[in-house]
Amino acid sequence: MIFRVIEKAELRSLFTMLSAANRVIGPVGVGLDRSGRQLYGFEEVHDFDRVALDYTMTSLSAKKYFLPYREIMATFTMDNKDWQKRIDYNIDAPFVFFGMHACDINALNRLDKVLMGSVYPMPYYAAKRKNAFIIGIGCEPQPNCFCRSMGTDTALHGFDMFITDIGDRYFIEIQSDTAFNFLKKIRTGEPVEADHLSFMKTGAGKNEKFAASVDTTDLTKILDMEFQSEVWKQWGDKCLGCGTCANVCPTCYCYSVEEEVSIDLTAAAKVKKLYSCNLIDFAVVAGGHNFRPERHSRLKYRYYHKHRGFVEAYEESLCVGCGRCGEACLADITVPEVIASVREGRKTDGQ
Amino acid sequence: MDNKLPFNDVIDQRHHRRSDLSSFEYTHKAEITSIHKLTEQENLYRIQIIDPAERERFEFRPGQFLMLELPGIGDAPFSISSPPSRKGDVELCIRKVGGLTSFLSRVERGTHVGIRGPFGTSFPMEKMYGQNIMLIAGGLGLAPLRTPISYVQENRSRFNNVDIIYGTKDPLQLLFTYQYDMWRADDMRLSIIVEKPDASWQGRTGMITRVIEEIFEERDDAFFRNTYAIVCGPPIMFKFVCSMLNQKDLPMQKMFVSLERRMHCGMGKCCRCNVGSTYTCLSGPVFDYWTVMNLKEAI
Amino acid sequence: MSDSPAKAYLGVPVRRPRVAFFELSSCEGCQLQILNNEASLLDFLSLVEVVRFREGMSGGSDEYEIAFVEGSVTRDDEVGRLQKIRETAKVLVAFGSCACFGGVNQLKNRFCLDWVKKEVYGDHPVETAEVRPLDAIVQVDLRIYGCPVKKEEVEKIVTHIAIGSDITYPRYPVCMECKANGNVCLYDLGEPCLGPVTRAGCDSWCPNNRAGCWGCRGPSDDMNILQLVDIMKRHGFSEETILDRLECFGGFSGHLEGLKK
Repeated sequence: MIFRVIEKAELRSLFTMLSAANRVIGPVGVGLDRSGRQLYGFEEVHDFDRVALDYTMTSLSAKKYFLPYREIMATFTMDNKDWQKRIDYNIDAPFVFFGMHACDINALNRLDKVLMGSVYPMPYYAAKRKNAFIIGIGCEPQPNCFCRSMGTDTALHGFDMFITDIGDRYFIEIQSDTAFNFLKKIRTGEPVEADHLSFMKTGAGKNEKFAASVDTTDLTKILDMEFQSEVWKQWGDKCLGCGTCANVCPTCYCYSVEEEVSIDLTAAAKVKKLYSCNLIDFAVVAGGHNFRPERHSRLKYRYYHKHRGFVEAYEESLCVGCGRCGEACLADITVPEVIASVREGRKTDGQ
Repeated sequence: MDNKLPFNDVIDQRHHRRSDLSSFEYTHKAEITSIHKLTEQENLYRIQIIDPAERERFEFRPGQFLMLELPGIGDAPFSISSPPSRKGDVELCIRKVGGLTSFLSRVERGTHVGIRGPFGTSFPMEKMYGQNIMLIAGGLGLAPLRTPISYVQENRSRFNNVDIIYGTKDPLQLLFTYQYDMWRADDMRLSIIVEKPDASWQGRTGMITRVIEEIFEERDDAFFRNTYAIVCGPPIMFKFVCSMLNQKDLPMQKMFVSLERRMHCGMGKCCRCNVGSTYTCLSGPVFDYWTVMNLKEAI
Repeated sequence: MSDSPAKAYLGVPVRRPRVAFFELSSCEGCQLQILNNEASLLDFLSLVEVVRFREGMSGGSDEYEIAFVEGSVTRDDEVGRLQKIRETAKVLVAFGSCACFGGVNQLKNRFCLDWVKKEVYGDHPVETAEVRPLDAIVQVDLRIYGCPVKKEEVEKIVTHIAIGSDITYPRYPVCMECKANGNVCLYDLGEPCLGPVTRAGCDSWCPNNRAGCWGCRGPSDDMNILQLVDIMKRHGFSEETILDRLECFGGFSGHLEGLKK
């Protein structure tokens, strides 16, 4: 890998250069919550001063820029018994993602495995993923973050360049030719030994700040053993079945397809909508049979997919430990607590 | 200097051939060439891919399924009921149970539909050469079983003893009645049983397990050591049947079942068909019974 | 309204059913929603033959197959009218929250009827009874939820009726649509919201405008209302605030036992 260091002011030049010719998505403040805490989201930005480089955690992940919540997969023109189908992968121009944390980059890497690496690559996703210029940025662990437990606290690949704040300057990892060429247009320097040490010190400092963790030892087996555990029912009683965990999750990719007919009956569309396995009708088949009729069986399935099935298939968890689901869940269901309760055979929150 | 990011055309980069591109969302346009009423609830649709070259390329194996799309109405998985030798001129046996199938029951011959696939795993017919085969179906399970039956029929000399065992609720629900004599003529023994006979019924009455008990009495243990079983039907049925067969030392890896789940993509993306966390569309729909035993939520 | 040429969809002939609109106790706002989309109004009228529609035409026929009935039943004469509509219509549609659940009207059921009459009509009392949704009187074949109904959903349902395909509703709650719209959760902003237990389909209309959901579309399937009430209490909302929300449109009336004192 090639490394560079830049003066902090140079980042503005990089942004200005990129945003002059491309659409740029980045973290921005979107208001304060009821206790005065800053909330963040990913939005299109035109002004470098709006980019919240020190953002904590966005409420929603970066997913919608790669897997839109609602996407038209195909349209039809209808002609009585005949029809024509048109397929559009819905990408018109490359875009810049300015400031993505390691967990979210790793989330894309995991999605790549399912959506690009399998027998049937999904062009809707690939078209957007391949056209995203991703600038990663270092972060401070938040109370709900457990990425370190999931091995996703650093990103090894899946980005174009990654920025780490090493005090007075930024340390930059370069992974793509495109990034290398852009960096030639601003003032950069070769890192010296002192920069390397600062980089390492930053990483070590970050590691000390994690508050939440998940013990993944033997987890796939434990989940199998505890399939009938009562704790699932207890969590199921709390679960609202609202699908919010899946919607804020950077790796939940499951979807539903709805067909729409235009009111003049001359056209139709096939629409993909991100769905959630916690929703009542996720596993309903024609005729009405529901393979997971109870809330707890659906909640359990979600954990099975993230922490067992995906591990079995790809030797790593689908959960990247970003902590968004726990943060967003009104019923306070968090991954560290659920996993811990399954390991211990009881709920741990004292209820 | 131009700071515009280069555009990566995903199709050029990742898919070099049109057939690769066609693997996602590409729909073969097909025509419904005949509709044959089998029972009050089930129709047999003959559906032919319109383009002759595409039709010829549509090769599938017994047990595989396709996604049938009616634009604006929906798309859903159906197991193919016709012989693989007929390629993209398929037959689908479809019960009127949901929105798509109800609409389908109202369309006429000549209507164009979309076909994606074929998808999924299949029954390993070649492994069964020289062996006895028990083809067991409950209810609508005869629809997916009809393809391995026709495969055995077309390659009858390659198989040893062939038993077809078929059970339904009542005689009115029996499917493909017009083919029974042909199957028998091809030296496949057909045993039919119904749960609730009507006045005219003269055959066996009871659960499908009764027929299997009869076979147990008549065959020795050596027979089952050289036997494969294909079981299609509701989970409760294949659970009973497979456990019975396993008592006769028929290894679970020599019994094959087909699972039914909701699907939107057929390509391991939408997650709707997951059993535990296994994709029915990629790892199934055909599973050996050992795998099914190890799948949470399968039965 | 002349007959348009016969249409077909995928070879299946499209029926053009005769449709009538009726109103019981209501604001007729749901019916206005239909007129509220000039762009698609003509297409709408080519799918159905409207034979009675007070908001859009005068006169009307009593020969119809589908009756859209807006409003709730609050007077005895409305019972008779509704029963007559039921006898004529092949399909009776409860149109909007008043028809489905009683709607805002049913708030009066909280109080003593005599007091209500005095409070509202003073010295000029009119006959009024306890508010009931349509299905308390007659069988309802189809429900279109919302206060008001969402015109896109009405058009979708009518399209499905015309081509004869299944009519489905979201079974999940409003949160799904709210998150997809990128909204900040109203609980984070300190606002009460019934989104987690209310049937989606409105495209999270109110939360999109930073207003908490009042549950006008009634409960979603398998909602967890006890848990939500618990959450609302933990967020510091009083029982009165919570009940005011849950009782507003009547959709949750069957689920409030144990919550009321």
